[in-house]
Amino acid sequence: MVFYNALRNILYKRNSVFVATVFTGAFVFQASFDVGVTKWYEYHNRGKLWKDIKPRILAGGDGAEDEDEEDDE
Amino acid sequence: MASLALRSIARNSLVSRALGSQARLLSSSTLTKKSNYNTPDFGDYIKPNGANEKSRAFTYFMVGSFGLLSTAGAKSTVEAFLQTMSASADVLAMAKVEVKLAAIPEGKNVIVKWQGKPVFIRHRTSEEIAEANAVDISSLRDPQQDADRAKNPEWLVMLGICTHLGCVPIGESGDFGGWFCPCHGSHYDISGRIRKGPAPLNLEVPEYEFADPETLIVG
Repeated sequence: MVFYNALRNILYKRNSVFVATVFTGAFVFQASFDVGVTKWYEYHNRGKLWKDIKPRILAGGDGAEDEDEEDDE
Repeated sequence: MASLALRSIARNSLVSRALGSQARLLSSSTLTKKSNYNTPDFGDYIKPNGANEKSRAFTYFMVGSFGLLSTAGAKSTVEAFLQTMSASADVLAMAKVEVKLAAIPEGKNVIVKWQGKPVFIRHRTSEEIAEANAVDISSLRDPQQDADRAKNPEWLVMLGICTHLGCVPIGESGDFGGWFCPCHGSHYDISGRIRKGPAPLNLEVPEYEFADPETLIVG
């Protein structure tokens, strides 16, 4: 009960504080959501992204080309 | 007189009873003053001590959360619209031109295309630099020091568009050893400054930088 009262007194009592909290929260949320989605995407597609295959391609394109041919067969 | 007044009050109260609210104001009897509204018993729905605060906090939390999500959505929508105004990747890729300077011998002109416009690059000899610096600035139509036009005096980089009507001047010709515009006869000197003819301004110098001593980046 103390917690809910504190929440009300700090956040909800003044509309300016409430709205300001919502707006700053939106900024924080957007940034963290972006990071989270990117992390998940990179985890889901690991091994296929440019940053993963870049050293192999730059070392000599042969390896990658061979793999393509295998895929075709 | 008194009976007339009483009668009028009685009539008034009859009319007022039909109107409802005024009946209580006019009547002096406690019976009509009393509200006939039965207040329901909310006892079954009133939460035990403190639970109301929890429910109120939860309500505000939900309102705030949806506000937060809407704000984030509105922000990204606006950002998406603003991003359509910024330069696209293909435009940015064409915005700069890299020139290898080692391939240009001294005393030679090179014309490169940058953003659809010709750019003159001249590797000037030391005599030409001296000639460009020897000119009396006050006698020029568009007074400009040679040092203000070329970051490195050996390399003169400028837009190859005549400031008169936009023709492309011819290099190593004209009365002043620089450029000559065949369209209306404007003569530019070895620093690209207008010396004779109808053009009002010196040849324009684009943004450029030397990434290293051998590489010039225009743009």
